[in-house]
Amino acid sequence: MEIRMNLDVMMAKRKITSGELAERIGITQANLSILKTGKAKAIRFSTLMALCHELQCQPGDLLEFHDDV
Amino acid sequence: MNWNKDKSIALSRICTAVFAVLLLALDIGCYWIVKWFSDIRPVPWQYSALRMAAVYLCSVFAWLLLVHLWKLLGNISREEVFTEGNVRHLRAVSWCCLGAACICLVCSPVCLPFLFIAGAAGFMALIVCIVKNVFQQAIAMKSELDLTI
Repeated sequence: MEIRMNLDVMMAKRKITSGELAERIGITQANLSILKTGKAKAIRFSTLMALCHELQCQPGDLLEFHDDV
Repeated sequence: MNWNKDKSIALSRICTAVFAVLLLALDIGCYWIVKWFSDIRPVPWQYSALRMAAVYLCSVFAWLLLVHLWKLLGNISREEVFTEGNVRHLRAVSWCCLGAACICLVCSPVCLPFLFIAGAAGFMALIVCIVKNVFQQAIAMKSELDLTI
C-alpha cells in the first residue's frame, strides 16, 4: 500500500526538464529528484500547489494510490 | 558576558579534559589513596587489593566514557547532532556508567562508599539511556523532515 508520484510522466507530457521545473517552483534539483524517485516521505501543500501550477494539472494527476498487498 | 552554544560546548570540553586529568591523577595515586583509607580504618590486605582492583576497573570504564563524551562533543561542535554515531556514543556512555555501577555494587560489601557510587553511576546510566532514546526519536523525526519536500 503506497502513494506513487507520477511526476516524471507529467514532466514528460509537459516537456519540461528537472532543472527548469526545480527553478520554477523554487526547490533544489536534489529535492525534485527525491520527489521523482518516490523517496519523499511527505510533500508540502505549497510544493504540490507550485507543481500543479507549473505543470497545469491537478494533484490527482501527480499522486496515485496503489493498494498492493 | 555574551554566552552562546559554542562557549557552552567549549566549557563542556574543558570539563571533560579536567575530568580526564583527575582520572589520570586517580590512576597514578590510587595506591596511596587506598593506603590512606586503610590507615584510617585498618582492613585486611585483601580488602585493599579489592578496592584497588575496583578503582582500576572503574577507571577503564571512565576512560572509555570520557573518550566517547569527547567524540560526542566534537560531533556537536561540527553541527552533527542527531546522528547514529552520536546515539552509539551515548549508548557507550550509558553502558560505561552501568559497568562502573556493577563493579562498585560488587565491591560495596568491603567498602560502603562504593554503594553510593554504584547508585550514582546507575542513575547516570538511566539518564543517559533516556537521552539516547530521545536522540533516536529525534533522528527518526529529522529523517522525516529531511524527506518532506
